Amino acid sequence: MRQGWITRAGIGAAAALSLAIGASPAPAQAAEKGPIKIGVISEQSAIVGQSISHGAELAADYINAHGGVDGRKIKILLYDDHSSAADAVRAFQRAAEQDHVKAVVTTFISEIALALEPWSARLHIPTITPGAASNLITKQIHDNYARYKYMFEGWFPATILAQAVCDSSHDLFAKDLHMKTAAIMSEDADWTKPLDEGYVKCLPKAGLKVVDEVAFNPDTTDFTPIFNKIEAKHPDVIITGIAHVGVQPTVQWHDQQVPIPFGGISAQATNLTFWKDTNGAANGVITQTGTVPGLAITPLTIPVGEEFVKKYGHFPAFVGFTAYDAVQALAGAMGRAHSTNPDAVVTQMEKTDMVGTLGQYAFHGRKSKYTHSLRYGPKWVPTVFMQWQNGKQVCVWPASKCHNKMIFPPFIKTTKTAAK
Amino acid sequence: MLRSPLFWLLVPTLLLGATAPWWLGAYYLGIFTTAYYFGVFSMSWDLLFGYAGEVNFGPTFLIGLGAYGAGLLNNAGWPIPLCLAGGSIIAVIGGVALALPALRLRGPYFGLITLVAVLLLIDCIVIFAGVTGGEIGMMVPDVLSISATVNYWYAFGFLVVCGTILFILSRSSLGLILQATGQDRIEAAALGFNVTKHKLAAFCISALFSGLAGGMLVFYQGTASVDTVVDLSITVQIIIAVVFGGRRTILGGVLGSIFLILFDELLRPLGQLNTFVVSGIALLVVLLLPDGVLGYVLRPRASR
Amino acid sequence: MLALQILIDGFAISALYGLGAIGFTLMFGVCGVLNLAHGGIMVIAGIIGWWAAANYGAGPYGGAAIGVLAGLVAAYVTYFAIIRPVQRSRAIPKEEEEIFVLTATLLWGIMLQVGLDYLFSNNPVTMRSMIPGVISLAGVRTPRNEILIAVVCWVVIGLLTLLVNRTRLGKQLLAASINPRALTLLGFELSRIYMVVWTIYGLLAGLAGVLLASFIGVSSANAGALTASAFTIVILGGLGSVPGSLIAAYVVGYAETITAYLIAPTLRPIPALLILVVVLYLRPQGLLGRR
Repeated sequence: MRQGWITRAGIGAAAALSLAIGASPAPAQAAEKGPIKIGVISEQSAIVGQSISHGAELAADYINAHGGVDGRKIKILLYDDHSSAADAVRAFQRAAEQDHVKAVVTTFISEIALALEPWSARLHIPTITPGAASNLITKQIHDNYARYKYMFEGWFPATILAQAVCDSSHDLFAKDLHMKTAAIMSEDADWTKPLDEGYVKCLPKAGLKVVDEVAFNPDTTDFTPIFNKIEAKHPDVIITGIAHVGVQPTVQWHDQQVPIPFGGISAQATNLTFWKDTNGAANGVITQTGTVPGLAITPLTIPVGEEFVKKYGHFPAFVGFTAYDAVQALAGAMGRAHSTNPDAVVTQMEKTDMVGTLGQYAFHGRKSKYTHSLRYGPKWVPTVFMQWQNGKQVCVWPASKCHNKMIFPPFIKTTKTAAK
Repeated sequence: MLRSPLFWLLVPTLLLGATAPWWLGAYYLGIFTTAYYFGVFSMSWDLLFGYAGEVNFGPTFLIGLGAYGAGLLNNAGWPIPLCLAGGSIIAVIGGVALALPALRLRGPYFGLITLVAVLLLIDCIVIFAGVTGGEIGMMVPDVLSISATVNYWYAFGFLVVCGTILFILSRSSLGLILQATGQDRIEAAALGFNVTKHKLAAFCISALFSGLAGGMLVFYQGTASVDTVVDLSITVQIIIAVVFGGRRTILGGVLGSIFLILFDELLRPLGQLNTFVVSGIALLVVLLLPDGVLGYVLRPRASR
Repeated sequence: MLALQILIDGFAISALYGLGAIGFTLMFGVCGVLNLAHGGIMVIAGIIGWWAAANYGAGPYGGAAIGVLAGLVAAYVTYFAIIRPVQRSRAIPKEEEEIFVLTATLLWGIMLQVGLDYLFSNNPVTMRSMIPGVISLAGVRTPRNEILIAVVCWVVIGLLTLLVNRTRLGKQLLAASINPRALTLLGFELSRIYMVVWTIYGLLAGLAGVLLASFIGVSSANAGALTASAFTIVILGGLGSVPGSLIAAYVVGYAETITAYLIAPTLRPIPALLILVVVLYLRPQGLLGRR
């Protein structure tokens, strides 16, 4: 077998060589003609991730049908990151350095947004996350603007989310149902730390005394102990901060007939499949979300939602709308800058003030603690609170947008304190 | 030496690797940079597993200690070289702390205790989120470089140095004794070798290189997070890389790492199914070429 | 009151852990196989059961049956496509078979998980309770479904014990676990015994997956954690020992529940891991393991 290895080594060398050729030199910088490429990095296996890519594609379709940006079409390139930060970083490198995208829309997961933030700074790619809620993303931009200014948060940092929850809880629980006390139940994660701090500060101002604060391991599967602990303190309502978990606590809340209503943020409950995933245990669950089917926050909300249903067969998760708006904002900025130069695009992005699908779409400026994150409030993006009622997502807050009453399953005791 | 097939494979490969920045785009350089760091992880794991015969599910315990150690020191204001040294020392201390109970155990029991070490590390990172950034990770203020080419050089140089040292070690008396204990522990002990001492040494060396590579990876990527340096999926990738490339070859792990990461990228057009296809190919290699790709090329077999 | 709550809650979850782990330990005891695709098989059973019940009107019991069947099929595929080729490969030396089984099942587990992601998305799902509603057990409000699950787990565990200890087939399994070579010399075919074990294993893993989906829900993302949990329990109990695994399941289940109630829900997994480290340090072969 003397000559055996020579043949095999030859094969090895040939393989290495063919690999080298396959990975031919990077093509020269594409001319500033042809379509403008925007990369979308998200996980297709996750319903939320899929909504991001669908939303971006819909926006591109709309822009291209209306003349494009300075006559150039938008082209969306999809990358699957398997919800892994390491994978997302490599996808980002590919998007920026191989495919020469001019901007990136990515992820609802804070960990991934934070892993990409240094890369957006390094490779000067305007990057916007339509769903990640960590305060840290905007803090970096605020503290080191020159370096991290390419990052945008097309959603609310956790502290602002907490404010939205308190605003709604005041109306829904304290005013309408005459509730006095609340327990906070949050998964132990980075985004819930500022959220819980926000809750503790603003819930009492909203008229709800905080009687218990339970943080739990995000890998928890059995929620019985948590519910029992909370029940022992007799709160009128449970205010949640959950995203990593959702189906499990909801099903166990229902199966164990925990007699306390659920409010706050339960990100999984915003998915339209949540009813089926929980076999209807979701009935009565209230959560913050972007919009619900049939609700017109702006003149764009309903038509875009219908486009989604027409093209993809189902209504998207809220990030479908925020991703749509993100691509519109990027295209608008590129149009105003008459260029895809990253610094020019960032400057124009900061001046964004447009009618989005979920409200008036604009970012906080450099002076704000929440630099480059979405503006919250009745004048800007209001956010709505929805409740699952018999298989449907129904808007229950703010009263200026919708007038539906809350309905709870029979095991919930709100009658004693309720107005009628 | 000129007769060795390995030599004839290595020379063109090293040449290709060394000249890569002149004919590869920044994106491919980025992939290889990551793959080279994973290559060092795999080589360190092979030393412990391939030679000492211990199924170690805990390489990311050592990598994570090195990575987070370096990242925390950098956040405390230390310069990068000191952080890397500090991180490696922490990894070695952790390696010894793990080895002392672990070396009492054999086979799957050993595997489990190393797995538990990783799970505990993840829990600690999440619980002490104030210091470590928790599950979303921690940014580091400094990076090695922002140029893809310079980063590639760092990774390539690091790989060559680590590869050389580990390869020489594996061919030294330490490697031979480890191999003997891996095959028959009692006989090796009967021959008068201090089995535990040699395994402990292997653990320390493995920890040193894993920790150092973990730190380098952090200063390349600019963040340290559970997902990028501690998660069990990284362990899985390391194990597969070594078995795919060839156990007991040290260099096979590098080949396996490059295959896994490069093909995952080349198959990106398949969307979410790329991992499925890459795992399938790796499974076929494991079943059909049990010595791994490099093992197949290098090992002349009398039976064939 | 609190003690009673802990007692009841811990009991059901521990029973489920036990059911998930005994197939795994039996497989190692008799066939010497550590199947790291274990979690993937459980998840397949849970998700297919949910899918059949939610989309095709199979109902909770029909869904459960289809789910268990899916688990059995997945186990057979694992055996014929992965394990048998490794065991029969002449290129793999016998003493290294273990690492090849580990690597191959690890890869197979990834393929199962990614395949499930692709077909069903990684959304967590739950199966409808087999009997809805709650009853009061000495003042502790307990879902009927939870009681049913604990009962089913223990009935199945009891049946398995009877099978192993009282039947001819069971004696063969025991003999195969102690000395497979002697059994072949006595004229028994090992491959037939392996088939029996894989069938039992598939049914147990399938049932555990379905009950899990009905009790706390499953997602393809759980596959790795389920494998790790079964592995932990089986090693703590001593590899190959069914009673050891049951004791270990209760130790882990109660350690987690007690921590969640009395210390803090964030620290839930830690005491069980520490117990494991201490036990393995003092008894390297696990609680009831053989040296």
